[in-house]
Amino acid sequence: MVSLINTIDTGHEDMIHNAVLDYYGMHLATCSSDGSVKIFDVKNRNQVLVADLKGHQGPVWQVAWAHPKFGNILASCSYDRKVIVWKEGGANDWTKLYEYSNHDSSVNSVAFAPSEYGLMLACGSSDGSISILTCNTEYGVWDCKKIPNAHTIGCNAVTWCPSTVPEPAFDQKSSTRSAGIKRLASGGCDNCVKIWREESDRWVEESRLEAHSDWVRDVAWAPSIGLPRSQIASASQDRHVIIWNSTDFTTWSPTILHTFDDVVWSVSWSMTGNILAVTGGDNKVTLWKENNENQWTCINDDASVAGGQQSEQRTL
Amino acid sequence: MPSNDTLRANDRGGGNEQCNYIRQSDRVYEHRESQATAMTVDYTGQWILLAGRRHLALQRLGEDGDEVCLRKYNTNSKYEVSAAEFAICPESKESCAIATSQHIDVVTWGAAEPRYIHSLRGHTRMVTDIDWHGKNPNLLVSCSIDTFSHIWDLRDSRKPTLSFSAVCMSGATQVGFNRVSGNLLAAAHDGDLRIWDIRKGSCPIHYITAHQNRVHGINWSHRRETCLATASQDGTVKYFDINNPRRAEKIITTTSPVWRARYTPIGNGLVSIVVPHLGRGENSLLLWSNSKQNDPVCSFVGHTDVILDFAWRPNRENQMEIELVTWSRDRTLRVWKIDDKMLKCCEPENDTNENYDICTQSRVGTPTKFQPPYCSSFQRVPVFRSQPVAVSLPVERADNVHNTIISRSPTLIATSARSSAHRYREETAVARSLTDQPTCSLHHEFSLLNTNMPHVEVDTLDAIKRFAMFNISAGGHVAVLHITFPTDYPSPNNSPEFEFCDGTTMHEPLSRVMLKVLRTNALQRVKKSRTCLEQCLRALVAAMKKSGGGSEKSHVRLQSPRLEGALSGALHDACIPFPRTSAATFNSVGMLCSFTQTLNTKRLTLRHQNITPRTLWATNGGGLLGNVMGEQPMLYAHRDSNASFYLQDRMTSKHSKNRSIQKANHSTAIVQIYECNKLLNISRVMASEYSLDKTDIIATCRKNRLVCENQGRYDLLPIWTMAEMIATPNVPLRKTKLSKMVLNEDPFKKALLESLIMHYAAVGDLQTSVILACLFHPGVANGYTGVASINGAPSGNAHGHGKIPILTPNTSPYHTVLPIDSHVSNSNKGTTNAIQLRSSSWSDSLDCVDSKFANNEMWSLSLIRRSKIPLFDHFKKLYAEILYGWQLLTTRSLILKHTVMLKCPRQGVEFVTECSGCNKTKRTPACGACQRPVLFCALCRIPVKGAANACLSCGHGGHFMHMKQWFEKHNVCASGCGCQCLQETDFLLECVK
Repeated sequence: MVSLINTIDTGHEDMIHNAVLDYYGMHLATCSSDGSVKIFDVKNRNQVLVADLKGHQGPVWQVAWAHPKFGNILASCSYDRKVIVWKEGGANDWTKLYEYSNHDSSVNSVAFAPSEYGLMLACGSSDGSISILTCNTEYGVWDCKKIPNAHTIGCNAVTWCPSTVPEPAFDQKSSTRSAGIKRLASGGCDNCVKIWREESDRWVEESRLEAHSDWVRDVAWAPSIGLPRSQIASASQDRHVIIWNSTDFTTWSPTILHTFDDVVWSVSWSMTGNILAVTGGDNKVTLWKENNENQWTCINDDASVAGGQQSEQRTL
Repeated sequence: MPSNDTLRANDRGGGNEQCNYIRQSDRVYEHRESQATAMTVDYTGQWILLAGRRHLALQRLGEDGDEVCLRKYNTNSKYEVSAAEFAICPESKESCAIATSQHIDVVTWGAAEPRYIHSLRGHTRMVTDIDWHGKNPNLLVSCSIDTFSHIWDLRDSRKPTLSFSAVCMSGATQVGFNRVSGNLLAAAHDGDLRIWDIRKGSCPIHYITAHQNRVHGINWSHRRETCLATASQDGTVKYFDINNPRRAEKIITTTSPVWRARYTPIGNGLVSIVVPHLGRGENSLLLWSNSKQNDPVCSFVGHTDVILDFAWRPNRENQMEIELVTWSRDRTLRVWKIDDKMLKCCEPENDTNENYDICTQSRVGTPTKFQPPYCSSFQRVPVFRSQPVAVSLPVERADNVHNTIISRSPTLIATSARSSAHRYREETAVARSLTDQPTCSLHHEFSLLNTNMPHVEVDTLDAIKRFAMFNISAGGHVAVLHITFPTDYPSPNNSPEFEFCDGTTMHEPLSRVMLKVLRTNALQRVKKSRTCLEQCLRALVAAMKKSGGGSEKSHVRLQSPRLEGALSGALHDACIPFPRTSAATFNSVGMLCSFTQTLNTKRLTLRHQNITPRTLWATNGGGLLGNVMGEQPMLYAHRDSNASFYLQDRMTSKHSKNRSIQKANHSTAIVQIYECNKLLNISRVMASEYSLDKTDIIATCRKNRLVCENQGRYDLLPIWTMAEMIATPNVPLRKTKLSKMVLNEDPFKKALLESLIMHYAAVGDLQTSVILACLFHPGVANGYTGVASINGAPSGNAHGHGKIPILTPNTSPYHTVLPIDSHVSNSNKGTTNAIQLRSSSWSDSLDCVDSKFANNEMWSLSLIRRSKIPLFDHFKKLYAEILYGWQLLTTRSLILKHTVMLKCPRQGVEFVTECSGCNKTKRTPACGACQRPVLFCALCRIPVKGAANACLSCGHGGHFMHMKQWFEKHNVCASGCGCQCLQETDFLLECVK
């Protein structure tokens, strides 16, 4: 089902904390505790280091690619309380486009908004707040909005609602104007997942999803293919991954995907929103799929990604 | 039971209007040799445990004075006992929990020896307090400098059943279960309280910023569930109701730090220990009424040194008889009887006020009025009982309004109120000046010392003799350090004395250098009256490492760079999630990239936990305070090689080539990229091979079936067969409009097709779903896929179009200009709505009617219901995004042409582009005001900078090369607007000519 097409030795001097492919799958960005962000050309099974971005003074937790229509843009967030947006000027010439340092603690998560909203990103920090940065692309002016105290103790993850999620009352007419409302979800140390909605210049808490019994480590809003439902996956320190379903953004019903052996700290949806990749403290990658009976099953139990990886490494 | 005290002149009645008794102890037990630091009374009230470093002693409190029973057990522990508590449930009355350093032992007392039942290990720093659950005999809670409060269930004592982590830099000093419900838990961290609910979660339900300084004592009310009292270094006792955490209900203010404050188990009083200054311990134990805070009801005198702890001795026969047991540093154990009169004085005078918010204005009350309305047990007993054993010394002031109490004791003393008031004032003045009590702080400093410091081994910590011994081995040297603390330490010019003892391997000049390092560091701290022990030790270790040469340099290099400024790393680390060592992310075209790294030192950091820690500072094996108190705040990459997996990672990666390959597994940061297209049912090859030729849908279905077969998607073969059947008219082919209507009105086919599309969308096979939706998409696309000569196709489906006689664009009388689509109009007469004609004179309203009319016609012939179209368009949009990621731009555009939603807006097909700079529509390729191009390529959607080509009619265009590629195969616009770009442009150019 899954075939390994490339293995990249990142050569970081310390642990890496995130690795993300760009939109086309041609570039790989990795970030590490050594404070650097590296970009690899992985086109056609290449593995050429094209940039080693040094600008952070602490471990870099997460990187995120912007939609390519804005150019090759990458955002990184770090323990040093900064968010840096990098841009490829010429070929493989990466420069700092913008640096945001208005957080009081480690910034744990960055996520770019759906491209329909323009160049916009959200960052969640351990100081409990969420920042939403918007770039006016032709003037290069950045605007910042902050949700102060979004999560007590700290915010660990942010994710955007896909712009194509249709309105609750789905019909032909309303669908054209549904794209306007921006939403994002965040998870934090208060064990909550919170949904935020933009309301005329402000971000207001729309709902609060409480089912986890420990810190929420990651949230991922499932891409929408247009079906009138929203799905959010949240991973938590309590070893649960919970799938939240809603049709109207107000009532969210939680389903526990699985209780894992160790803490889970990353969830990622496939682009059609039907496969969920989960990783956690036990360093296992599991892929989950919902069957027709609405039950989630692990689809890589035997010939797992992790297993494949190990055998791959053994042969190295 | 000799009370060998000489009774002092109790010449203090308190300079106030309220009664103020002074009591001597009823019984005194001396334990000259004991060094006990903790004391507790068992459930029956028969035994008192004095726990110290060297031995545990059980003292029996006989009712009769003749039996002095003392049992002693030697333990000889390296560390002081920090807390000891007998269980308070009858079911577990033999159990006793004793905390030493990081461990808690649960002990039962047999006839001879204490039996160790459990050893509770989970804390990483010194345990500071223990409390048993009041109802469940198996539960106890402990708190520690490591900031955690653990709840232990003795049925499974291997690990805490619940752990509460206060995210703060100060360790927990006190903890207490709620006495009424047992569900709430209060823990003190410095001056703050955290209230937890053990039933839910890992977040405190309340934060109370209780005191400005350290909280030494927490005690929950025995009756009111939400009330508790706290005692603090800042010299106050505060009563809190946790429902109102912002403000203390009542405050008792004293001039010295308050060590403990506990509610009386019956009655309405509270007893506090005020930490006295050296040698003046008489007035340190005070009984207060909960209803008036300005003066104590009674003071208990007799102890000559600091009272270390006190406990209530329950009397199981008579609930109304309670005694106070105190243990002091003067090594005497004293028992005091609390009699009714005292308790009565604690009662609020206004019995109608149940909230106890009584003004302190005294009012003479009759004895009956003292009966509390809330305590039925109290009412049952006689108000005045004889107190034969009490050697109490109630001292009455002349103006005391409550002087109904007669001194029964023949001894002593009623002296002038004036002189007592005078002395009292004098003493409080002294007390104020010595608020930071020296012996207390040395003890405190020791208790806060990080005993897990790398390279440092604690040998002895003796707060009483005021010295400490350490073994330090770093940089190839071993040092045995002896530190003596002067009594005034820490105050300016009173730094501790350092000395290297036997066993030190450093040569003379080096040890002189080291001593200098120590002294300089100590001086710097004590100059500001701060404690210096840990700083000195750290400085010494650093200096020794430096002297040891380059071998340790790697440590320094391996630290992550420090942040500028005074960021206290550890404080922040506590709320920063533990770094991810693995992740897997999908990208937008179905590739998965993942990495995993194993933590080598997992067992180290996770010694007491089965799961990965949640916060960053868990990576620092030393614990929290060590970091805060260090010379410089450290990032989490710790210096200690044991605790740093980063170091090990580095080491192994460096040597991995020479070493075993398995090691390399752990160290190198390798990212894998997987192709998941099979899993996601999306294939790039299929995307490019699928045909959307609508001239002959049946043939197209067959073709697509073949594509699936070639790509191994055998599961889709029946679907395409079915699609073929849907496309095949089930009535004999008659070339009439009627047959077409009959064909597409077939309800079974409609439902089948829709459910097919929906099913594949729902299970995630977007590709199949979209291709089906596109293929059966009605209307516009039929005419503009670029596939001409529909007339030639034999399919009835396509054929039907030509027979629709009504409403072609040409027949509309309003289109006065440009019959440009004439060559297709005869074959596509049913699709008028989509044709966006430019007309100099058309009327919007009429055109609207026109197209609506046509629309209805079109939808009535469609196999896909109109209401479903927007949804299917969403599918197509998303699929188009995927195609964009694959850079199948042509295919993407073809897909998008089968949508209604993405069509150009109806206002016209002029070359209108909105400039994102000024948000005005521009009819030129560049915005004049903003001076930037506004033309975006219709194929790749990237702004066109170089060679561009745009249709003069509809205005869509783009990169020259893209346009060229597109128009090699097609003659209609790539944007899907329906414009016959090539012809229209030709026409316009001709007109210009």
